[in-house]
Formats: sequence, C-alpha cells, structure tokens
Amino acid sequence: MNIVVLVKQVPDSGAERNLRTDDNTVDRGSASNVINEMDEYAIEEALRIQEAHGGEVTILTMGPSGAAESIRKALSMGPDKAVHVVDDALHGSCALATSKVLAAALGTLNADLVLCGAESTDGRVQVLPHMLAERLGVAALTGARKLTIDGSALTIERQTDEGYEVVTAQTPAVVSVWDTINEPRYPSFKGIMAAKKKPVQALSLGDLGVAPSEVGLDGASSAVVEHSKRPPRSGGQKVTDEGEGGVKLVEFLATEKFV
Amino acid sequence: MDFDLTPQQSDLRDAVAALGRRYGHDYFVAKAKAGEHTTELWDEAGKLGYLGVSVPEEYGGGGGGITELAIVCEELAAAGCPLLLLVVSPAIAATVIARHGTGEQRARYLPGFADGSLKVAFAITEPEAGSNFHKLGTTARRDGDDWLISGRKCFISGVDESAYVLVVARVASGDRLQPALFMVPVDAPGLTMSKLDMEIVSPENQWLLYLDGVRVPADALIGDVEAGLPALFSGLNPERITVAAMGAGTARYALGRASGYASTRQVWGRPIGAHQAVAHPLAHATVQVDLARLMIAKAATLYDAGRDLEAGVAANMAKYASAEAAALAVDTAIQVHGGNGMTTEYGVATLLGAVRAGRIAPVSREMILNFVAQHVLDQPRSY
Repeated sequence: MNIVVLVKQVPDSGAERNLRTDDNTVDRGSASNVINEMDEYAIEEALRIQEAHGGEVTILTMGPSGAAESIRKALSMGPDKAVHVVDDALHGSCALATSKVLAAALGTLNADLVLCGAESTDGRVQVLPHMLAERLGVAALTGARKLTIDGSALTIERQTDEGYEVVTAQTPAVVSVWDTINEPRYPSFKGIMAAKKKPVQALSLGDLGVAPSEVGLDGASSAVVEHSKRPPRSGGQKVTDEGEGGVKLVEFLATEKFV
Repeated sequence: MDFDLTPQQSDLRDAVAALGRRYGHDYFVAKAKAGEHTTELWDEAGKLGYLGVSVPEEYGGGGGGITELAIVCEELAAAGCPLLLLVVSPAIAATVIARHGTGEQRARYLPGFADGSLKVAFAITEPEAGSNFHKLGTTARRDGDDWLISGRKCFISGVDESAYVLVVARVASGDRLQPALFMVPVDAPGLTMSKLDMEIVSPENQWLLYLDGVRVPADALIGDVEAGLPALFSGLNPERITVAAMGAGTARYALGRASGYASTRQVWGRPIGAHQAVAHPLAHATVQVDLARLMIAKAATLYDAGRDLEAGVAANMAKYASAEAAALAVDTAIQVHGGNGMTTEYGVATLLGAVRAGRIAPVSREMILNFVAQHVLDQPRSY
C-alpha cells in the first residue's frame, strides 16, 4: 500500500506562541518549531500499516525551508522518503489554498491512503482532510481513533463526544487521526542516521502548476485583520477558613454553577 | 574545533530527552527506594539503539562516538534519570572490548552492548590500592590454559544486574606484574559479593567483590597480556567524559526544577526569583554548568578525533568541572526550594548523595588535580 502522511511544522504548543505584528501570520522566527503533535500519530499509523501490509510511506510537507528539520525528524521515525513543497509565495496561505497545493502534490504521488493528524495545534480548523478528499474526489474518513485495513477496504472508529462511529470506505481515501489511535515510537539511533540519506524532493508552485496568485496572503479566502493577546487571568477569589470555610466554598461553587 | 551538534546528534538529543521525560525522576526514585532497577528504561533505550550509539556498526551498533554516548548520558540525567551503568557498561567495557578485544571477543560481546542486552560491570578499585593499578593486589596466574584470579574489589557498581564483571588483575610478565583485564561471569565459582550500604538514592548498587581462585578460560583475557595497560587506558577517557556528561545532565535537571520553582513560588506578591539573593546563585551555578559542558564537548570531540593525549587532559578537566558544578547546582537548587528542597516530592535532595559522590568517584578531584599539576604544569609527582 502506497501511503502518504501529511506533516506540518508548527510552533511548539508547549512554549509561548505569537502572531507577527506585520501580517498577523504565525511567528515562526521566535518559536521553537516542531512536528505537529497529531501528525506523529499519523506517521506511526502509517508505519504500522507498512509493517503489516508492506508498501511505501512518503512524508508530504508544505512549509518554509526551515520545515526541512521536521521532515528529517519525521523520516527518522522510519518513512521511506519525503516531498517538500516550498515556495516563498506560499507564505500566509489559507486552508483552501493549502488544500489546493497539497492536492496538486498528491497528484504526483499516486497514494492509496493519505494519513494526517485530525488538526494542527496552530490552525486548529480541522477542515484540511475534508477539503483534500473533495479536491481528490476520494473518501474522507476523519477523526479516527482506530483504523483497520482489509485489502482495499478501510474501516475507522470515528471518535465523537459521545462515543464512536464505525465508518468504512475503499481506497484511495484520506484518513485523519486523533492521538487516541496509537503511541508514536521514538526514533531509533539507526533511524536518525538513516534519515540523512533518505530522498527529499523539493517542489515549487511552478512544478505543481499552481499560480502564485492563487495562494499566499494575496490569494487567501480569509484574512486575520487584527489580533491581541488573551487578557491575563484575574486573581480569583481566596476563601479564608475562619470556621465557615466549607460553607463559603460551597457558596462559591453554587454561584459558579459547579454544583 | 567545532562543537556544533550535527543534525543527527541534535535529533538524538531530542529523542533521548523525550524518552527520559516519559520515565522521569519520580520513576528513578521509586525504583531506588523499592530496591529495584531501572530495567524498563534501560531495555527501551537499548532497543532504540541509544545505549549502543558508540558500538561499531558491523556489530549492530550505531557507529557513533563518545560524543553520541555523552549525549545519551546527559539527556537521561537531565530528565532525572542518571544511569551510572551507562558509564560502566557501554562507555568503559564496550570501548575496551571494541578497541582491544580479539576478533572472537568483539563478535561475542559487542552485539550485546549494541542493543543493551549485555551489561558488564567494571572492577578496578581495591580497599588497599584505590584505583592505582600499579598497586593492585588482585592477581591472575596461569593454570594450564586457564587463569586463576584472586583478590578483593570494592565500590563496584551494578554487579547484581550484570552478566559479567570486567576485572583488572595483575599478571606476571617476565619478572614484573602488570595489569590485565578479564571477563569474569558474575556466577563464576569462587566469586562472591556483598552489598555496600550507600547514602545515595540510586537504583544501582555498590558491591564488595571477593575473588578466591576464580577460574576463567584463556579467552577471558581481553586481547593478550601485553594489551592490558593500553586496554585499561582506553576505558578511562570514555569513563571520564560520560560521567561528566551525567553530572552536567543532573545539574541541568536540578537547575530546571529550581528555576521553575523560583519563577512560580510567590511570596509577598512576587515570585521569589525576582530577588537577586535567589536568582544570582542559580545564575552562578548555570555558568559553572555550561562551562563544564563546553569542556565535555571539547573532550568528546578530541577523543572522537583520535587525539587521545589531548583528550585525556580535557576529559579530566571536564570531569572535575562537571562534578563541582553538579554539586553546586544541586546544593543551590535545594537552598532555593527552602524546606521543600529536602522533601522527596520536590525531587532535588534525592540527588544530593549522587552529586557528592561525583566529586570522589570514579576519580577523585584530588587525583585530577595531581594529573593536571603533573601533566599540564610539569610539576614533580607527589606520590
């Protein structure tokens, strides 16, 4: 099975993140940039499928030249090769434009299965798998907590707030996964050393036949007009126990409708 | 000399740090207090090839150097898991066998070092001789094709979890005695051990060893009799560099805990880190730790470049600087925590015994000062 895993480089969600003041896009310069956490689960799932069924695993990343570091880390987990769509004109692309570019790149890769994280920790819109499937004309199985494969038949357990739904489709398909699906492996030292020699193909917008005017900030279907920091948390209320602490605690909880 | 990590070394650092974080200091302390070993962490790190980074590729290892092994030691320690056996088994024993073992010995032992499935303890120190190998009382003598080894060893780490102990014994060469190294199975008849009670919170134990005519076959001798001295020396630089890296990692862990505490603990409406009396000692310790890390990087780079003599000076200096910095860092971290610093929960006083021992073992600060006085400053020998 020919599997492509979408990997996005994002600012580390565990550290302070900022938007740029000039164009309201993610400030990558001041951040520690890492693989989008949910994508690691997609990579792990792809590797498990490859171990069970054979085939090839390709990483597909759209991002600035610095995203090469995340591609290398993704490859150190075990995938065979990578494609890096990199073009200055892509800066500030919206989800629609991103899906257009990724669909064009996927058009060159002949994937049976496209795996990705259910959301990115920076954008968090969760729409990309659906948009991609629509553009490719294939099924979208999204939000999987479990994926089973029987020949060309795919079955997922789609995680919902109440439980899960069983959804099936035939390959080719796009499957997005949550962090409940597996436990990603750590790269082995051999994997780290092998990643250095794995092929990474760079593709520009010209290679993909996408016009620069269709992407980037100018081609975006939506724009962030302004942004501001979340206000600091207020001090909260301190209950001093002078014999009636318990009563005051319950009063507070009742006022806030916790009880 | 370029100490910038390669992308692969940088990825190794991130990967080991991530694995170490999943276990963490609470795991390390719980195992130590239960009298158990950190087997799960060791085995997982072994399967991922982190313990065998410096073992040659042809034996299944990573083909890296001491720089890589030092990264593994430092990052596990920085996650609160300073594993002493890393210094003993992969750094000393595997290096000695890779460099001076016979072809048959390399083929037999190195694959086990590569995946961590083989642990080998190292026995040089004796009650009378310390680690002065010219004065060792343990001897090996020929008996047919075999060797019979007798003597006493002390402060031998991790014998109870090792399959072999690499024993330094003196053998007759012409009319004098010189050190040689033997792979002795820990269950060999005539080898007995008793546990030394130590005031160190560690899942790895210290042992007294008694060898009473322990019989080992001819191929237990590493290389040949003439290989003994160079083989012994070949283990010393990796030992010093990795133990220094472990100290630096332990220091980073303690300073991380302390700076996290100082920036969040509020007294009179301000974090205590806003007070210079708290912040400056932490900053001072950080300077000492980073200076030590610089010397560790230099020593590892020299060693991996095959510049053994220069590496020897740098490795000793790195070990000295790291041990002093680690003791300072842990002591400072405890002070910053106030009373909390001495609790088990806050996870810094648990390192006190280990970093204090680091100023004594595996080579004391005084022996390093002797070395520097003699070899760098050309002073006469004091002993």
